[in-house]
Amino acid sequence: MKATTEDSAVFDLAASLKGVSKTYKHFQLQNVDLQFQMGTVVGLIGPNGAGKSTTMRILMGLVNPDRGEVSVLGKPISSSDAEAKKDVGYFSDDMRLYKPETIGWHMQFVRSLFDTWDEGYAKELLQRFGLIEHQIVKGLSHGQRVKSMLLLILARRPKLLVLDEPTNGLDPVAKHEVLTELMRVVEDENRTILYSSHNTQDIEQICDTITFIDRGKVIASSNRDDFLEGWKRIKIHATDPWQAPDIQGLRLESTFRNLRIYSLNQYRDDIPAILTSSGAVIESIEPMTLEEIFVSSVLRGREENK
Amino acid sequence: MNLHAIQILFMKDLFLSRRYLFAYLAAGVASSVLTCLASGTLAFVGFILIITVAIAAGIHMIGTLLLSETTDQTRLFVMSMPISLLDYSLGKISVVMTTYLIPWSTMLAVCTIATFVIPSAKQGSVIILPAIFLFLLCGFMIQLVTAVVTESVGWTICVMVGCNVLLNVFLMKLHTMPEIEAAKQSELITWPPAILQLFAVEALVIGVALVAAFLFQTRKRDLI
Repeated sequence: MKATTEDSAVFDLAASLKGVSKTYKHFQLQNVDLQFQMGTVVGLIGPNGAGKSTTMRILMGLVNPDRGEVSVLGKPISSSDAEAKKDVGYFSDDMRLYKPETIGWHMQFVRSLFDTWDEGYAKELLQRFGLIEHQIVKGLSHGQRVKSMLLLILARRPKLLVLDEPTNGLDPVAKHEVLTELMRVVEDENRTILYSSHNTQDIEQICDTITFIDRGKVIASSNRDDFLEGWKRIKIHATDPWQAPDIQGLRLESTFRNLRIYSLNQYRDDIPAILTSSGAVIESIEPMTLEEIFVSSVLRGREENK
Repeated sequence: MNLHAIQILFMKDLFLSRRYLFAYLAAGVASSVLTCLASGTLAFVGFILIITVAIAAGIHMIGTLLLSETTDQTRLFVMSMPISLLDYSLGKISVVMTTYLIPWSTMLAVCTIATFVIPSAKQGSVIILPAIFLFLLCGFMIQLVTAVVTESVGWTICVMVGCNVLLNVFLMKLHTMPEIEAAKQSELITWPPAILQLFAVEALVIGVALVAAFLFQTRKRDLI
């Protein structure tokens, strides 16, 4: 009975990484454990060089981990096995198309490798993205190049989309077009998107689960709403000698005379009462933006690792 | 191993290299015809052109089809498709070799046919053609292994320069071997043991280089 439950849990996973580590000369991805449920949109947020791209490349079997297990859509993935990649669409900001050839030539190339290629949808995307089929890649702008690559991925109708910084460097209009198309994809409940970015606004817009990564370590992973509801900025006035009560997750961010600004990552309804009873006067309790939560999480993680 | 994927990769690269391939093919035919039909300095110029075309075609195809996929970042696009490392390696090595062997074999064929067709040509001289062309192929294969192992344009060019220096030494040695020199002057084709031994060594180098290129490529842990 237990085995059945486990099998079903594994089946519901779009991808998983268990104890994955990878060491480079100047960077180490350390013991990453992540599970992505089918039908979710997961945001992977981290500063530049945090390990987002390495994690995604490991998921795609482009980089072999030194340790750990990786599975995608229920199949183990490695550079020697391409089967799992059939249902995965991967985009990377570092990815380039063949400059002398046209978008149409690339469409034909991808079509020849996938039975799932949807020609009607591809034509629709060409129109929606304002792309011309016989346009040569060399003459495309950055935005057109990104949209062309997304077209090549989306028209395959993959079950899992692994998108590494797809909106990086896009102008606001192109970014809107790309995010709008991804929102359309999200409407299909069976499709999972893993989306990495250092732009928290994009992630907040489309993702329902968020993972923060920094210096090769996963520092926090939770539901978007839990993040936004659980994190608060608390401004209090307290005169010395005042000792902050022992509240888990309370961190002093800055002080100005008697004003102390704290961030709290596990807000509860009884927190104001605890602070007031300690002698502090609460000025405000404010929600934090995802960007503020991310920065605070990174700084907390770095302090803990000192 | 996915034969369908290998075939698509092969055709893709063949298509991408079509312009260079035709250019080298045309240059190869022109230089071979010049060598065979002209005499004196012009024939020597033709011979130098054959060597140049063979060397340039090799380094260019390795650079365009193998090394540029890393520098142009197109490999990431290809490897995001359902293609395994084995499929990629087989497709890549076979297409690089094919695009080199097309002008190479055409030049060899034109020179060989000309030896038989041109009345003034001594048929015995045909034996040095495979020796020279196999040496050129050896050089290409060593450059291919270097490119696969190092993925570096610089190292591949260094090895190419080394192979060119060795080619000069090889050509000098070939002309100073009395057995071969005598066979060259003959009206009939004879295969002295020295040239057969040379073929065997060249074939061995090509075989070892091919296996090494394939083994190094398929044992890579990371594709990017």
